[in-house]
Amino acid sequence: MQLPDFVRTTTFRWTGSAFAVCIVLFCALVYWEAAGYMLAKTDAALNEESLAIAADPPARQLNAIDDRLSQDPRHIKLAGLFGADGHRIAGNLESMPHDLKIDAPVQNAAAIRIDQKGPEEMTVRAIARSLPNGNVLVIARNIDELKGLAEVVARALMLGLPFAGGSGLLIGMVLSVRAQKRVAELNTLVRHIVAGDLRQRLPTQGLDHPFDELAEIANGMLDEIEALVQEMAGVGNEIAHDLRTPLTRVRLGLERGRANAKNLEELQTVTDRAIGGIDQTLTIITTLLRIAEIEYGGRLAGLDNVALADLVREVGDLYEPIAEDKHITLHVASGDDATVRGDRDLLLEAVANLVDNALKFTPAGGCVELALVHGNNESIVRVSDSGPGIQDNERKAVTRRFYRSDKSRNTFGFGLGLSLVAAIVKLHGFRLTIATGPGCVAEIACALPSVLMSSC
Amino acid sequence: MTKVLLIEDDDETAAEIAAELVHRGFDVERAATGPEGLDKARSCRPDAMIVDRLLPEVDGITIVDALRQEQVRTPVLILSAIGAVDDRVRGLRMGGDDYLTKPFAIDELLARIDVLLRRPIETRETILRVGSLELHLIKRTAKRGQRAIDLLPREFRLLEYMMQHNDQLLTRAMLLEEVWSYKFVPATNLVDVHMGRLRHKVDMPNEAPMINSVRGAGFILRAAS
Repeated sequence: MQLPDFVRTTTFRWTGSAFAVCIVLFCALVYWEAAGYMLAKTDAALNEESLAIAADPPARQLNAIDDRLSQDPRHIKLAGLFGADGHRIAGNLESMPHDLKIDAPVQNAAAIRIDQKGPEEMTVRAIARSLPNGNVLVIARNIDELKGLAEVVARALMLGLPFAGGSGLLIGMVLSVRAQKRVAELNTLVRHIVAGDLRQRLPTQGLDHPFDELAEIANGMLDEIEALVQEMAGVGNEIAHDLRTPLTRVRLGLERGRANAKNLEELQTVTDRAIGGIDQTLTIITTLLRIAEIEYGGRLAGLDNVALADLVREVGDLYEPIAEDKHITLHVASGDDATVRGDRDLLLEAVANLVDNALKFTPAGGCVELALVHGNNESIVRVSDSGPGIQDNERKAVTRRFYRSDKSRNTFGFGLGLSLVAAIVKLHGFRLTIATGPGCVAEIACALPSVLMSSC
Repeated sequence: MTKVLLIEDDDETAAEIAAELVHRGFDVERAATGPEGLDKARSCRPDAMIVDRLLPEVDGITIVDALRQEQVRTPVLILSAIGAVDDRVRGLRMGGDDYLTKPFAIDELLARIDVLLRRPIETRETILRVGSLELHLIKRTAKRGQRAIDLLPREFRLLEYMMQHNDQLLTRAMLLEEVWSYKFVPATNLVDVHMGRLRHKVDMPNEAPMINSVRGAGFILRAAS
C-alpha cells in the first residue's frame, strides 16, 4: 500500500487541513445565515399577530388567543393576556415575563409555560402590547427550534464532512498516485539510463506540466551526453584505427625484413623504418595524453604575463623558413601590444599549431597570415590562410580529436592539432573560433587581464 | 671512467638504460628505490644522475631537492611517465637540470646525459671557435676561415648553441627547447628546415661539412677534418 507515502507529503497534509477548515467554516456560515433568517421571520410574524389580536375588540381577544394556541401542532406558540395588575386572564403563560418591556420590539424573554406537563421554563421571542382597556397582551414563540437547526446543520456536517473529506482524500490519492506513478516511471527509466541505455528518453505528455518541463530538460541533457559518448566512442575507434595503421605497417616491415634481409645494412634499414612507425604511434599517444592532461588537469602551472606580440613574432620566426620552402607567403603582423595572463609555453604551442595547420592545408603559391589585432577588451590572434577552408558542417568537428578534413586525408598529420589548441584555449578561459573566409580563419580571443581586474 | 647513477624502479627499463650506458663506456650504478638512490648518491659520488620521477617510498623530485640542500651539484636528468605540464616546471625548479618524458628514444637520453656531463664552463669568452668557424658574440658576426657568413638572428642563436656543444649529439627536441624555448615537438620537421638553412650558409658545396646529421637522432657540429 502506497498510502503512507503520500500522506507523509507536506502538500497532502496542508491541502487536507485547509479542506477540512473550509467545510467547517462553510457550515457555520450556513447556520448563521439560516438562523438569522428564521429569527427575522419569527419576529415579523409575532409582530403581525400581536397587532391583529390587539386590534380585536376585547371580547374577541380571548377567542383569538385560544385559536392561536389551538392551531399549534408543534407546541411552540405562547400567548397571554394579563390584567393591569399583572394577573393572568387567559393564555398559556404563567405570568408576565418580568424582563419583557411593554410596547417594545420583539425581544428575548424568559417565560414559564403552564399548559403542558407542568410549568416549564424556556427562552422565547416575545412582544408585549398594552391594550386600551389596561390589559397587556403577550405573544411569544419558543425558539428552541433554532437549536434544532443547529443540530440539523451539525448533522449535515457530520454526514458531509466525512463524505467531502473522503472524496477529497480520494481525489488527492488519485492525483498523488498518478504523480507517484510518474515519478516511479521516471525512476525506472533513469535507472535504465544510468545502467548505460542512453537512447532512452523521458516521456512527455504534451501538457504544460512541471513534470514535462523537467523531462524536457533531462532529455536535452541526455541528447548532449549521448552525443558526447558517441563522439568518445568514435574517437576511440579512430584512435584504434590510426594506431593500428602504422603498427600494422611496422609489423609487416619487420616480418619481411626478418625473412628477406640479406645483410646487416638491409636489416638496419628495415629496423629504422619500424622505429619511425613506432615513433609515429608514440606521437599520437603522447599528444592524446597531453590533451587529456590539459583538459582534465584544469590548472595552469606556468601562469605569467605573456606579451602576445613577442609570442606571435616568435612563431612567425619559427615558421617562416617552412613557409618559404612550401612557396607560401607568411605575413606576420603583431600590431597589438597586449599582455595577457597565461602559460607562455602552452600559448606558443597553440598558436604554433594553428600556423602549422594553416601551412599544411595551404597549397603552394598561397599565403598565410598571422596577425595580432586589438578587439573589444581582448586581443585576438588570428591565423588565416588561402587554403580550401572548412565546410560549415565540419567546423565544430575539427576541434574534435582525430578529425581530419576529408580533403586533406593525404596530408601528413594526425588531426589532433586543433583539439590540442581547443584544450589550451579552454584552459585559459579564452575563446577559439574557426570560420571560413575565402580560406580558413582561426582566432584565439584572449581576454585582457586589466579588464578582469577593473571589473572586480 | 664517468660514473652515472640510475635511480629507476622499473627493472626492465633500468636494465635497458644501464646496458646502453655501459655500451657507451659509462660506469653505471643502479638503485631501485628512493632511499637506496639517496644513499648511493651520497656514497658513490656520481658524475651525473638519472632519476625517475615516480619512485617507491621517496619521490624523485624529493631526492633531487634533498641533494641540492646538501650542496650536491651533480647534474640530474629527471625521467617521468607523466608529461604533466607543471611537472616539468616543478622538476626543473627543484634542481633537476633536464627533464625527459617517457617514452623516449635512447639516443635522446644519451644526448642529454652528454650535454649535462659536458656543460660549457662559464666563460667570458666573446668569440666562439670550432675549427675554422668563428662566432663573434658581441659583434654578432660569423665567419668560416676568411669567408664571412651572413646570419639571421635565429640562425645565429642556433649556431651559437651548436658551437657551445660542439662534438655532441643534439636532438631535435633539445634544439627546440634550448634555441626556441619550445617545450613540445611539432608535427612539422621545423628543426630540419632551420638546420637546412644554417647548413646551407655554414657548409659551402666545396667545403668539408661541419654540420652532420645523425639519422633518426639529431645533429652534431664538428670541426671539419
